[in-house]
Amino acid sequence: MGVGILASRAIRPASRLLRSQPSNLLLRTIVSKPELQSPEAAAVSQPEPPKNQILPPRNPVGGARVHFTNPEDAIEVFVDGYAVKVPKGFTVLQACEVAGVDIPRFCYHSRLSIAGNCRMCLVEVEKSPKPVASCAMPALPGMKIKTDTPIAKKAREGVMEFLLMNHPLDCPICDQGGECDLQDQSMAFGSDRGRFTEMKRSVVDKNLGPLVKTVMTRCIQCTRCVRFASEVAGVQDLGMLGRGSGEEIGTYVEKLMTSELSGNVIDICPVGALTSKPFAFKARNWELKGTETIDVSDAVGSNIRVDSRGPEVMRIIPRLNEDINEEWISDKTRFSYDGLKRQRLSDPMIRDSDGRFKAVSWRDALAVVGDIIHQVKSDEIVGIAGQLSDAESMMVLKDFVNRMGSDNVWCEGTAVGVDADLRYSYLMNSSISGLENADVFLLVGTQPRVEAAMVNARICKTVRASNAKVAYIGPPADFNYDCKHLGTGPDTLKEIAEGRHPFCAALKNAKNPAIIVGAGLFNRTDKDAILAAVESIAQANNVVRPDWNGLNYLLLYAAQAAALDLGLIQQSAKALESAKFVYLMGADDVDVDKIPKDAFVVYQGHHGDKAVYRANVILPASAFTEKEGTYENTEGFTQQTVPAVPTVGDARDDWKIVRALSEVSGVNLPYNSIEGVRSRIKSVAPNLVHTDEREPAAFGPSLKPECKETMSTTPFKPVVENFYMTNAITRASKIMAQCSAVLLKK
Amino acid sequence: MAAPFTLRKIGVPPNSANLTEARRRVFDFFRAACRSLPTVMDIYNLQDVVAPSQLRFAISAQIRNNAHVTDPKALPLISVSLVIDLLLFKGMEELTDIVDHAKQRHHIIGQYVVGEGLVQNTGSKDQGKSDFLKNFYTSNYV
Repeated sequence: MGVGILASRAIRPASRLLRSQPSNLLLRTIVSKPELQSPEAAAVSQPEPPKNQILPPRNPVGGARVHFTNPEDAIEVFVDGYAVKVPKGFTVLQACEVAGVDIPRFCYHSRLSIAGNCRMCLVEVEKSPKPVASCAMPALPGMKIKTDTPIAKKAREGVMEFLLMNHPLDCPICDQGGECDLQDQSMAFGSDRGRFTEMKRSVVDKNLGPLVKTVMTRCIQCTRCVRFASEVAGVQDLGMLGRGSGEEIGTYVEKLMTSELSGNVIDICPVGALTSKPFAFKARNWELKGTETIDVSDAVGSNIRVDSRGPEVMRIIPRLNEDINEEWISDKTRFSYDGLKRQRLSDPMIRDSDGRFKAVSWRDALAVVGDIIHQVKSDEIVGIAGQLSDAESMMVLKDFVNRMGSDNVWCEGTAVGVDADLRYSYLMNSSISGLENADVFLLVGTQPRVEAAMVNARICKTVRASNAKVAYIGPPADFNYDCKHLGTGPDTLKEIAEGRHPFCAALKNAKNPAIIVGAGLFNRTDKDAILAAVESIAQANNVVRPDWNGLNYLLLYAAQAAALDLGLIQQSAKALESAKFVYLMGADDVDVDKIPKDAFVVYQGHHGDKAVYRANVILPASAFTEKEGTYENTEGFTQQTVPAVPTVGDARDDWKIVRALSEVSGVNLPYNSIEGVRSRIKSVAPNLVHTDEREPAAFGPSLKPECKETMSTTPFKPVVENFYMTNAITRASKIMAQCSAVLLKK
Repeated sequence: MAAPFTLRKIGVPPNSANLTEARRRVFDFFRAACRSLPTVMDIYNLQDVVAPSQLRFAISAQIRNNAHVTDPKALPLISVSLVIDLLLFKGMEELTDIVDHAKQRHHIIGQYVVGEGLVQNTGSKDQGKSDFLKNFYTSNYV
């Protein structure tokens, strides 16, 4: 019969028993006939489908909705015989997406400019001599696009063959395996056999910092990272050097990627050339469980997906949310997850008489706190919520402290005198996505690059798209877009308010001016005067109108908006100095020296950060990846975190601890489940119960009374000293420590 | 207990005819258990851990646990004496296992020595507390 058949018999002896067929039948092997190998066979056209065939309806790829800016300008194209209506400027690739056909691509990305250099998106268009790059070709009316003809398929196979020629055989050791575009598209569109017998080229690796791991041999030169860095991140760090097969992506000089959005190139790179250095060799993507939740490292509330394996968070990936963070997240959000494993509080502890902490049971800890709280007078009780607290725990804390007779409960970051009566005075009123419509920005005392990286990305996008002008008042800071530095302090603000500054002309001529005030200004003593000046500028330049509200306040912490909505404000400046019982719920930025030496301090939190060293009792709580909490971002958009990993040790949810403490202290709170807490929140701030909805402020500046104070002349100070170390989790993170040592500009 | 294996071979004794016979059998079982206590204490070295009176109390508590099985109307399909017979069978099985050294010391201490896990001791701490607080002390996910 044949040597092959004998060999195959020898390889599989066990199947002899299982074979039902008699052994003298020929084993079929895959054969190819000479007729099928010739080029003419590929060019044979398919028989035409019968006319007037009823085609099944098609939905756009990914359930996307098509937005027609001018409905009269829609053109009709035919994709695989199916007629679709697309807006005028759409490319062939976008028209195919509307028709439900997903065309393979490597270099095209919907949020970046078109490069057209990978050639994977080639489709056949009737009356065109060669296949066209669908990502670059605009769709013309009446175009007939065919995506599944032999020409298109042969083009894809050819492109895939070329890409794989110089691509190293790294799949087993490449982190992108399992989520690699090259793997997926070669399985779907590539040919099944290769014919490459020469040597592959290799490229030297570039050092881009402690976050991005580069293996440049795997790079397919799609230039997505180059376009991202220059367009979205605004830094011109990366570029393509050389020509032909000697092309290399890198920084021309030995430069690290210091941008705060540098981690997003990891998502963008279709192959394993740019990967996450902290995540290198840690896990494969199929063993990770993804949980869709919200980030709390700043007030933006970026949507993330926490990938966890068992009880450990392995990495954090962005989720698409067009309104807030599009598809990007900042480096702090992405890489601070390893702080969740260090310095965690896991057992309740009480400080002994010799000053050392002793682990006790929950019963004893709560009994001790419940005893002491009754020995103190009502107005000597102070409760401070932290920057990562969720709305439920802040509500229960406020209820508890109020029922003990005290009014001193506030969230850190809100100084004395901040009043939460009118919501417009602490929210981003034009919404983060609304910033795209602005054409003039005035940044007062805020450095959005370090305070809220996604807001900064949005401003950068606006500046790039519509040439918006940005002016900045504050300490010298660096921006990744063209920004005029007008001054450093309230003097410049007064000049603009009185109309003496040359910038006032630009403000007056703007169609949609936007003023962004940083929440760091709330801590100043002359805060009322400054905010009054800002509001007079807003009034003079028609910033607040029914159709456009450009007066924005950029908050610093994830808990601030919800705290102000719930009414956790600081009434008296002397409350902390005269306190005898201080309840810190994750509050690490409190000035510990201000707490009197004989005060009894209870610290409830998840990390042993600064305030723990002053505490008398420690109650362990859960971090944001372990609890279901409601957070409101700086534009008033309410979102909920979802628990991704179990709590550490004997920790409990924040609101449960306060509720248990209230019961042990004899105060009867009327709820004992999370639904009860939420219905209580509903009666105080109903917008916090409507998740995934933005509640804009109801009233504008017209209701605010006149301010009589004068501004001081101290210039504005930077609020965030170190971008990588702002909260308890980031301070405990080793990656953030590396970043702040290496990547901060000195 | 002499020749426990021969007992097993004999099989299940016939069911009790009425409640009085079942009651008599319960008391016989209790007597047999108490008489086997010195052997048990010897086998598992419980001399320093517990006194025989405490073990007797534990056995009687287990029997009293099921003292509510008396109402014929509550069990319409099965007769009450059948239920009592079954409970006795299980008790006898447990006793035979213990005497045969088929269990280990930690089983005896955990199940029968009055300690933290049993209901009697923790009643005093948790009486006035609500379900929320009890669940809170147990775990975060109750």
